[in-house]
Amino acid sequence: MTTAIRQRRVVECMGTVFSFDVRSPQKYESVLDDAVRWLDWVDTTFSTYRSTSDIRRLAAGEVTLEDCAPEVGEILRTCELLSAKTAGYFSAYAGGALDPSGLVKGWAIERASDLLVAAGSTYHCVNGGGDVQCVGDPQAGQVWRVGIAHPLHLGKLASVVVGSRLAVATSGTAERGGHVLDPHTGKPAHGLASVTVAGTCLGRTDAFATAACAMGSQARDWLEELPGHYGFGIDNDGTTWATSGWGLP
Amino acid sequence: MTTTATRGPVPLRTPVSLGPRISPNAALAVIGLGAIMVIGLWWKDTFVVTGLGAWLTNAGRITGLLGGYAVVVLLALMARVPALERGVGTDRLARWHAMGGRYTISLVVAHTLLIIWGYAVTAHTGVVHETSTLLTGYPDVLMATVATGLLVAVGVVSARAARRRVRYETWHFVHLYTYLAIALAFSHQFATGADFISNRPARLFWAAMYTAVGATLLWFRVVTPIIDFARHDLRVASVQRESAEVISIYISGRNLDVLRAEPGQFFRWRFLTRQLWWAANPYSLSAPPAANLLRITVKIAGEHSAALLALRPGTRVLAEGPSGAFTAALRRRRKVLLLAGGVGITPIRTLFETLPGAPGDIVLLYRTARPEDAVLRHELDRIAAQRGAAVHYLVGPPRRGATDHLSASRLQRLIPDISERDVFLCGPEAMMTAAERSLRQTGVPGRHIHHESFAF
Amino acid sequence: MKRVLLSITGTVLGVVALLSFKSHGPTVGTLGVLPPANVPTSSSSTTPRPGDSGTAAPPRPGSRSPATTSSTANGSATSKIAGDAVETPYGVVQVQITVSGKKIRNVSLLQLTAFDGRSQEINSQAAPILVQETLAAQSANIDTVSGASYTTAGYIQSLQSALNKAGI
Repeated sequence: MTTAIRQRRVVECMGTVFSFDVRSPQKYESVLDDAVRWLDWVDTTFSTYRSTSDIRRLAAGEVTLEDCAPEVGEILRTCELLSAKTAGYFSAYAGGALDPSGLVKGWAIERASDLLVAAGSTYHCVNGGGDVQCVGDPQAGQVWRVGIAHPLHLGKLASVVVGSRLAVATSGTAERGGHVLDPHTGKPAHGLASVTVAGTCLGRTDAFATAACAMGSQARDWLEELPGHYGFGIDNDGTTWATSGWGLP
Repeated sequence: MTTTATRGPVPLRTPVSLGPRISPNAALAVIGLGAIMVIGLWWKDTFVVTGLGAWLTNAGRITGLLGGYAVVVLLALMARVPALERGVGTDRLARWHAMGGRYTISLVVAHTLLIIWGYAVTAHTGVVHETSTLLTGYPDVLMATVATGLLVAVGVVSARAARRRVRYETWHFVHLYTYLAIALAFSHQFATGADFISNRPARLFWAAMYTAVGATLLWFRVVTPIIDFARHDLRVASVQRESAEVISIYISGRNLDVLRAEPGQFFRWRFLTRQLWWAANPYSLSAPPAANLLRITVKIAGEHSAALLALRPGTRVLAEGPSGAFTAALRRRRKVLLLAGGVGITPIRTLFETLPGAPGDIVLLYRTARPEDAVLRHELDRIAAQRGAAVHYLVGPPRRGATDHLSASRLQRLIPDISERDVFLCGPEAMMTAAERSLRQTGVPGRHIHHESFAF
Repeated sequence: MKRVLLSITGTVLGVVALLSFKSHGPTVGTLGVLPPANVPTSSSSTTPRPGDSGTAAPPRPGSRSPATTSSTANGSATSKIAGDAVETPYGVVQVQITVSGKKIRNVSLLQLTAFDGRSQEINSQAAPILVQETLAAQSANIDTVSGASYTTAGYIQSLQSALNKAGI
């Protein structure tokens, strides 16, 4: 039996850094190339920083939805759905103008992971700017240990999440300050230093983490009720809390 | 030669079951159960239905599911499954198929309209716009629409009024397009059916159902006749005239007992000559099958039957069957009345010879318009003498009221204990209807009147 | 004729009965305890009430679309574009986008089946394990780090970059 080799790729995209970690005897170089191309395409289509992206042009009214790539419609539909599920705390219009970034990054990473799965990989992890999608076979002992960066103590971890098929998204005010807006007020949320949501599919999980951050002090109760997802939060004074249902270590 | 008459009750032998039978009620129960399961599939997949659009769309889904299921049932009815042919009866199967066919076409049309309307309401667009979206946006839907059109066309051609104006051959040919319609419509069920899209077990089961019925059809309608053809080597032995308009055809073969044909049953005969090979016409056996000889008796009434006159000995014959529930298995009473009209004597004559009974138990009434129409007379007389059974020839044109041969009063007078008898009835449609009415008036309960009627 | 009428009536009644059984969805206790809030337009700003405990009643489809008070004062034609009915893990959804002129005015859900156990199905895996301690990164033996989103510049100082360097 050939030993699994570890194939890594680190690329800059969407204004942040993506890290791929594939553990398999086979070579995945060309698949990783495809994944990176995918991320670039998502950036080109959805970036709110590029005036030529489909999203910007759609928001400006220069094109209609039919002119855009079908993924744009899919993202908008999913945003609407998630908005309903988060009682409006996740919204593609949080700041007034159309901005689905809270979903796009996680969704793009999830799709990149799907590319790897389609190519035959069962044990890999994709990290994009702190949002992680892991894939592993628990039967074969393929687990991932995902550290959660401490928002108040740089360089330290607040906790570790362990799982096989795992999506972990963290939203907070740590690095970029108040960039998560509460769609109801249009103002930055500041109830939590950071909140981490663990689930299985990163697209949704990312959106839920963003919503939870916008909810502030109400996030804990909401995450407790959210099926299939687990929450871990850190208040501004450093107090940590976690929802129930996490497996015992 | 007469048999010694033994007085006293003759035990009613349970008919020798030459093959398994599925009773009409059992068949209906299975069909009903299937329909409930199909509706259950929709039930399981649906959570909330609110708003006009959802109501319409879901009504469309239900009718679509039932339509897809009904198609399978219709095919199964026509698959010539021996257990169904014997148990339910070929004529009843054909009637069910005809009624079910009309219902199925209605379901399919309703499904189409409800889905278009429902989607249009949900999308807040007009019905016309939604129709074009459905047709152009989903390729399988276009095929399904063509299929619906085909089915409607078949329905129109098969409508009773049209049937009279359309030749049988034309009708049959158009009817074959239903196979094409089923093939065209199949894929859209999986591609756009909400209950199938993400439900693999349902898809597997549905496909299995279609495959099973298709295979059954192929087996009994195509493969079995070919096997029988090879195994039994049926050939025309001779053609005899019975009267000016009636002939008997003797057909020789090998190991005919394997066919398990019961007296009263019929085959669909395909005589392999250039003129006749394309038609498979049903004719009853007019004599109990022997191990190497079969006989049918046919009235010359059209160009097909006229061509039978010219059949040469040695002509090969493809026989599909045996079919029909008009057999001894229907009998429920010790005393029996056989009532034949015209060429309906053919299955009756075989029953007359083979139905178990003591002298006096079996009576035959043979109704014809003219004396020369009463064919096979010598045989009937011989059997009557041998068995101590009575045979009455009722000759003359039909008359109104109590003076008609088949009026209630006449029948009562002729056969005083008629109300205690099981009646087997076979003849032209009008005659059978009149006879049945009279029989009921004399007190014969409906369930003791057995007939085979091919009008539909 | 009587048989035809009977079968038609019977079918119609049967279908109506089936549909009316399904008019009421199962109570949804999974949605979250916060009542639905209006997404404000620029003119209004509402703050949601503090979350009540207890399960919320299932929302009726259609009642969740954001309140639209935008007017078509500029007179351009408003058209509605309907998306396909999409099967999502949450049920079947069809989205309608209202476009006025060339601007998107409104996005609303037309059809929303109630949440069912499917979202549970998605997570039929074992629950992830949370190790709740403040840890030094080196001794935690982790594979990757999740944190609030960082820019490229921020990445350089992040734990993730340290991990990546160590791995390569």
